[in-house]
Amino acid sequence: MTFLLRAIVAAEDGGVAAELGLTAVPASVVVALASPWEAAGPAGEAELLDHHRVVQAVFGRVPCLPARFGSVFADAAALRTRLAAREKDLAAQLARLGHRCELAITCAWRDSGAALPTTSIPAMTGRDYLERGVTRARTQKERQRRADEIVARLLGELAVEPAFIRHRTCPRPAVAVSMSALVTRDEIDEINSRLERLGAQLPDVTTVVQGPWAPYTFAVSE
Amino acid sequence: MRDAATLDVPLVELVDRLLNRGVVLTGELTISVAGVDLIYLGLSVVLTSVETIREAGAEI
Repeated sequence: MTFLLRAIVAAEDGGVAAELGLTAVPASVVVALASPWEAAGPAGEAELLDHHRVVQAVFGRVPCLPARFGSVFADAAALRTRLAAREKDLAAQLARLGHRCELAITCAWRDSGAALPTTSIPAMTGRDYLERGVTRARTQKERQRRADEIVARLLGELAVEPAFIRHRTCPRPAVAVSMSALVTRDEIDEINSRLERLGAQLPDVTTVVQGPWAPYTFAVSE
Repeated sequence: MRDAATLDVPLVELVDRLLNRGVVLTGELTISVAGVDLIYLGLSVVLTSVETIREAGAEI
């Protein structure tokens, strides 16, 4: 029977598997939580969101490291072998991250990036084409500058240890900043309030805070 | 701030994390996720995810 990896928890928290109907694959100090997986076809939205639901259910009960969606093992022995090889590192990550939550902070341009001229529109003349390119480059540069400013404002407002922040600027046309902050549960309300106040001061973006989630962004693979 | 449900961006942010972040135990197979693109609104995220899957496949 094949298994889809859901999360890694400490050995003493392995009992959560039975609570949630998951399969526990133990190593010495950590346990892999997995679900039987039968590949009837390509996975889609339902399976993806179900993975998130399962991970959140685990995370709501015990500290955990969430697994990236799509990790399938031929059987429990294969999973145990891989788990044992990474156990020391996983236990260290779990101790450092497992009790913290990820907040996803997204600042989306209010105009959804529509102001960026697109190169797919055929230019009427060579001059038009070149001018369009110059305008596009200028707009992108201005957006990047503004996104950097917003990051600085967010970092100042969050006041979270730098190791617990990750961000990308302009990852997609509609998005100025995509940031992940690793916080403790008792910090969430205060941080949400601060971000709401900051969001009101940023007229060109809509600020959305999601979470708390399991620490996807901070659980590293190697 | 607007409610998260009123924006499409948050779903993309979640999917990005589910597909591109989180623990990977080196060597496992990565299942295909065809159909996931249907819930993406940003093509760049799809491409990022496809690249991630390809990289994972290359490690096997």
